[in-house]
Amino acid sequence: MNYYKQVIAVTMWEYRRFFKLKNELLAIVIMLLIFTLSYFGGKYATSLASAKVHLAVLENSDSQLIEMLSEAFDVEVIAPVHKEKYLEQINDSNNSLLLMQDGEGFKLYARKKPGKLDELQHVLDGYNRIKTMRKIELSAENLALVLKPAPLEEVYSYERGSRGRTILAYFFAGLMILAVFLSFAYQFTAITGEKQLKITEQIVSAIKPQVWMDGKILGITLTGLSSMFIYSFIGILAGLLYFQFSGRPITEVTQYLHIPSILLYIPFTLMGIMLWNALLAAIASVITDPNNSGKSSLMMVPVLFVGASFLVLNNPDTGLSVFLSWFPLTSATAMPVRWLVTDVSWWNLIASFAVLAGTFYWLRKLAAKIFRVSVLISGKEPTWAEVIKLTREA
Amino acid sequence: MPYKNVLQVKLLNKSFKNIKAVDDISFSLEEGDIFAFLGPNGAGKTTTLRILLDIIKADSGSIRWGLNGKEGLLPPADQIGYLPEERGLYLDVPIIRSLVYLASIRGMEPSQAKRTAMEWLEKLGLADRAKEKLQVLSKGNQQKIQFVAAILHKPAFAILDEPFSGLDPLNQEIFIDYIKELNQQGTTVLLSSHQMSLVEKIAKKVFLIDSGKELFNSTMTDIYKNFGHQHILEIKFASQIPYDQLQHLGNTESISSEGSQKVKLILRPGIALNEVLEKLAGIEGLTHIQSHNPNLHDIFINLVRMQKS
Repeated sequence: MNYYKQVIAVTMWEYRRFFKLKNELLAIVIMLLIFTLSYFGGKYATSLASAKVHLAVLENSDSQLIEMLSEAFDVEVIAPVHKEKYLEQINDSNNSLLLMQDGEGFKLYARKKPGKLDELQHVLDGYNRIKTMRKIELSAENLALVLKPAPLEEVYSYERGSRGRTILAYFFAGLMILAVFLSFAYQFTAITGEKQLKITEQIVSAIKPQVWMDGKILGITLTGLSSMFIYSFIGILAGLLYFQFSGRPITEVTQYLHIPSILLYIPFTLMGIMLWNALLAAIASVITDPNNSGKSSLMMVPVLFVGASFLVLNNPDTGLSVFLSWFPLTSATAMPVRWLVTDVSWWNLIASFAVLAGTFYWLRKLAAKIFRVSVLISGKEPTWAEVIKLTREA
Repeated sequence: MPYKNVLQVKLLNKSFKNIKAVDDISFSLEEGDIFAFLGPNGAGKTTTLRILLDIIKADSGSIRWGLNGKEGLLPPADQIGYLPEERGLYLDVPIIRSLVYLASIRGMEPSQAKRTAMEWLEKLGLADRAKEKLQVLSKGNQQKIQFVAAILHKPAFAILDEPFSGLDPLNQEIFIDYIKELNQQGTTVLLSSHQMSLVEKIAKKVFLIDSGKELFNSTMTDIYKNFGHQHILEIKFASQIPYDQLQHLGNTESISSEGSQKVKLILRPGIALNEVLEKLAGIEGLTHIQSHNPNLHDIFINLVRMQKS
């Protein structure tokens, strides 16, 4: 039986074992449920928060202040004689506020710090500004002239770094993080689970460790991609429905779709996911008991590297950004991001991809070697020093 | 028809740190053999089998396979069946799917694997549970499925590591029948075990190993021819064993107690039984005496003692 046939058999086994459409759809339904609950819950909370708060002011306050406060608060004007009685009332109520003018300043009485304090401060700032302008005889027009920003015309010879492209970059990096997270969970179960169920010896007597490793990497990558595809599909569907019902033009989103960028992202993302799967598989191969292994935390490392590629977005031409776009553990996201937001030549893209692919090729070989030497070690988990020594000997 | 070697192993060595697990062993199997690899726990049996399967590498020595007319240094996966000592299958996957997968990675077409798996499940009385997960089966049935997984693809050569471990006496007999049937269908069988009474029933050839070293390697007929003529006496006493008197009997190769009142005497080769029985009659407190020729277990124990002395 040839290598490819065996790899396909292992790939399809892993894929069918982990990709369950029913579970995916269930996860999406739960996600939608949580989203709906938080959306309507949030709306309800906002409606409660936006209700006007009751605020009492004394009769002798400036009429302009009362007018301005009335726009944001439910204002009650009380006679100064009722002030003491009102202050007593405040002690028993969470919703009563009393504002008094105190010379140039103000005094606020309440049982405890009110939620709308910022809004009140904003109104009082506005009132003070108007009062001061009146005092120095500054008209509103003159104030506008003073505050007008200096005119700056932006002329760029290179215009790729549009907001749309940046959003696209975030989108692909997000998908990659999702795929790596999913792979982390599946790869862990696929490898350590098989070790714990003691199936590995039977498997490696039938196929070479390299076949086993390649099948695992491809199977788990396929599983991650399928989940990614389903989530993207549902996301697009939800987006279409949103635009349909909200009446907003769909071009608000379609303007972000840039086919050359997408075509560039696909191979980089695929290779990146496979590279991470190879690395995760190598780490998982050494772990005998996932519950008690200190190496389990290493499985989170990929997310740090993928996250690091976001640094490129703000300063794409610094030495660090250039390094990240070539370094194989970050280049899968960092290089396409750089291409989107700055000037990157085609040979840079090809060479960075070649380095990425070469690293993947080497990592899958290394993962298979580590697996081969770790597979029969049970009981005590090997240290990294032991693994390196055994891998060299293998 | 002349028999041909399907496996030839020469001067195999393997050490783990300072422990010599396999020490210069050589053996060969002919087509149609049931070759028993016997030894106590830790004797080096599993290590040897793992080397044969290329799961681990030997430090030195050579292995040559010759299955179905093809010679090679590596075991051809599609022609080898392996039942590892450490049993394990996918517990959370339907039985039939696991069986088809394990046969397909050994080169069997999935459709054919499914047909053959169903035939086996029919035979085991488990056909109606084919779509159930393995974890719902009893331990005995799980062992049977494990055995089927090892030989489903109709291998030319089956390696069965401790096939009887964990089985109750009834299932041990069933497994003996499976192995015989497998062999009759043309599969050469190499089995390792420490349960010698069971192996005795099926093996054609035997290799005794202890501490990685060969103790004996030949046919079952040969082993009995060489070591099966001695008499073994099992004697019971009413009270304490009179060791002094037994040692004065002479003619014994070994005396070993089995509890406080029972003793086992192995007579030297060529010693007449009557001669010893006459002497034994003079010992007081003797309540029971039984004579038999050594079985495989006795021969093995004797060989280990001889080697150590």
